[in-house]
Amino acid sequence: MKKLFYKFCLTLLIVGCCLAIANFIYTKYYYKNDIEILDASMLQKIDSLQYICDVLYFAESSNGTVSNNDTCQLSISEMIDELSPLKVGAIDHGAVHARSYLQLIKNIKPNSKVKTLVITLNSRSFGSPWINSKIETNLAQADIIYEPNFPIIKRLKLAFNAYDNKSVEMRNLINEKNWSEQKLNVPSNFPYKTVRQWDNGMANGTYLLPDGKWDSPKITLACHYIKTYAFSIDTNSNPRIKNFDEIVELANEKKLNLVFHLLAENMQYADSLVGKELVHIMNENKQLLIDRYTKKGVTVVNSFNLVNGKDFIDQDWTTEHYNQTGRWILAKNVVKILR
Amino acid sequence: MLFNSIHFLFFFPIVTILFYLLKHKWRWVLLFIASTYFYSAFYLPYILILYFIIIIDYICGLLIEKSDKKLKLFWLVFSIISNIGLLTYFKYYNFFVDVFIDFVPKLKHISIILPIGLSFHTFQSLSYTIEVYKGNQKAEKHIGYFANYVLFFPQMVAGPIETYARLGNELKTNHKFKYKNIAAGLRLILYGLFVKMCIADNFAPMVNDFYNNPTQFHSAYAWVALFAFSIQIYADFYGYSTIAIGAAKLLGIDLMNNFNQPYFATSFYQFWQRWHISLTTWFRNYVFFPLGGSYVNSLKWVFNILLVFALSGFWHGANYTFIIWGLAHGFFYLTEKQFLKIIPKTIPSTKLQNILGGILTFTLITLIWVLFRAENMDKAITVFKQCFSYTLIAQSHLSLHFETAIMFLIFIVFEILLYQSRFDFYLKNLNIYIRWTVYTTLILCIILFSGIQSFQFIYFQF
Repeated sequence: MKKLFYKFCLTLLIVGCCLAIANFIYTKYYYKNDIEILDASMLQKIDSLQYICDVLYFAESSNGTVSNNDTCQLSISEMIDELSPLKVGAIDHGAVHARSYLQLIKNIKPNSKVKTLVITLNSRSFGSPWINSKIETNLAQADIIYEPNFPIIKRLKLAFNAYDNKSVEMRNLINEKNWSEQKLNVPSNFPYKTVRQWDNGMANGTYLLPDGKWDSPKITLACHYIKTYAFSIDTNSNPRIKNFDEIVELANEKKLNLVFHLLAENMQYADSLVGKELVHIMNENKQLLIDRYTKKGVTVVNSFNLVNGKDFIDQDWTTEHYNQTGRWILAKNVVKILR
Repeated sequence: MLFNSIHFLFFFPIVTILFYLLKHKWRWVLLFIASTYFYSAFYLPYILILYFIIIIDYICGLLIEKSDKKLKLFWLVFSIISNIGLLTYFKYYNFFVDVFIDFVPKLKHISIILPIGLSFHTFQSLSYTIEVYKGNQKAEKHIGYFANYVLFFPQMVAGPIETYARLGNELKTNHKFKYKNIAAGLRLILYGLFVKMCIADNFAPMVNDFYNNPTQFHSAYAWVALFAFSIQIYADFYGYSTIAIGAAKLLGIDLMNNFNQPYFATSFYQFWQRWHISLTTWFRNYVFFPLGGSYVNSLKWVFNILLVFALSGFWHGANYTFIIWGLAHGFFYLTEKQFLKIIPKTIPSTKLQNILGGILTFTLITLIWVLFRAENMDKAITVFKQCFSYTLIAQSHLSLHFETAIMFLIFIVFEILLYQSRFDFYLKNLNIYIRWTVYTTLILCIILFSGIQSFQFIYFQF
């Protein structure tokens, strides 16, 4: 037993020394490369911007996506920066969501200049397709990099799969299960009770062309609206709710002003393509988010219905990408509360 | 649960400590719970499939032993149909739909994911009922031990495929805590993690880059990618098996070796005696021998060999590419046999012949791996074309990091040193300073240079 204990201690000592040496080598020579490989560029943004900005604007692609036809190519955060006397910096990256924001906010130091955080509250990100998206594994890997840890610990966590690394097939299966099983909050006389039923109903020739053929592009888009927006947020189990709740707690701890910017969705198309039932569900989710976070003392900027259908850049898909008109509307709406 | 996961790093020491703290009679309960938990970490509902296999084969085993000759056969067939039926439904249903949809248009694909390691469980469990039927194995009365034989977590998802005679007895033995088992197990786990995480996972991105868009690369790159896949798949599966053997060893349980330096084989015959040994043994015992083995006429023998190889390919995946992969191995195996018949037996084989044979075998095996890796035949043909297009114009490049190249060299050195040996046996006899230098090097390599992107063990999908 004595021999075993001695060996055990020796092993621990060697592992400890290895870790210390490895941390030095890794940080000096390899860390930056891993940040690049994992596309975790927001870490560098927060490291630099927190010392020069008063406001940090956390967002996904809604912030920086512009249309080729736009004469003004400014992002929403840059527009806010122009309109506001405060210095505003963007911490943004395509497809990220609240879990990434949470990790990034942990990196804000007590001596940073930041006083206010504006975080996009994207209602679509609470739905199953985004929660179980095929790039979720990549995002989870990047989130490990965003954690405020020793670089070598982050590397070990990555190497030993200490994140949600479900396969794409598994994520698809979960999505399919949610679509088939989760009951929708719709009137009792509505013929479809689940997303799968509704999607199938819509897919079966709802839109026809004058010659009697199916209008496939329109049907595809309508089905996509259903699969993307037809969900009810369960505040007990939805991981995004948990992430946003944690953000609220963290901001309180760090004594930062918190603003949630509820992004605009294409309500016009949701109505015209699918109908009032979908609009009802979307509005219910919107109200739930506003009520929940207003109660928690967060300022919620409601831009949900502010942008016209034609001012969305992607006319054949569901995104929160706005042309310059849309972006200015959103920026002005945020600036109102920053003054 | 993956072996190279934080989850496992916490789970396994707890199980090992509890295993040695518990009295022998209760250990089966611990292993059953641990194995259930281990498998459930992948997808909870699929544990029911394993329970189903356990119950069916446990009962069939008892009934086969009790029944007369005719009924024995009935229960064996029942067991085979249950296992293969399950495998067919989850693994091959959509493939058969694709094959027969032109004749039966009403057939529809099902939205399902393959339970991890299903082919391994079913084959292992089937070997039990077959052995009971043949009278070589007594039916197990204790369902707990039988359940652990099917579920034993170190080898449940990717083998080695064990017989009940071996693993069943190992599970029943009262293993005392022995330092040498702990040391041997930890050594194997360390080496397995190095091989999987530093070799396989660092070659994987290069291989994926190539196979995602093979036409972007010129012939030289195509060949590099082909050899890289040879290394990747070996390191991936060999690494997994080594960790599995090491994990079992920590509990005092010996699993069979699944690899014996297969790429040092000088012929296809040798390759199949050294690669995935447990599967080769299974097919030999339960398919090839019942078909008559070598005691049949030449034509039947050729047919049997091709059938076994084709089935072995189909076992890997529900795709034509796997069947053709198996047949290609069968073809080269037969060609080699015919060629050896021509050479007079009086000519002794020289070192040069062995080296040339080794290079030729490895190159051909590398080429055939294309069928294993490509998602479909079109992709495989594109890759073959790219290999033999002899163009040197490339839109993309493949690169291997310097550190990966160094680790690969370390791996090759070990593979040479471990010829006819195993990492734990080899290290045991080394001087303590050399031993600890090896440990430290491997630990540093894993910490610093293991692949950071997520790559599941390739054989999990089978």
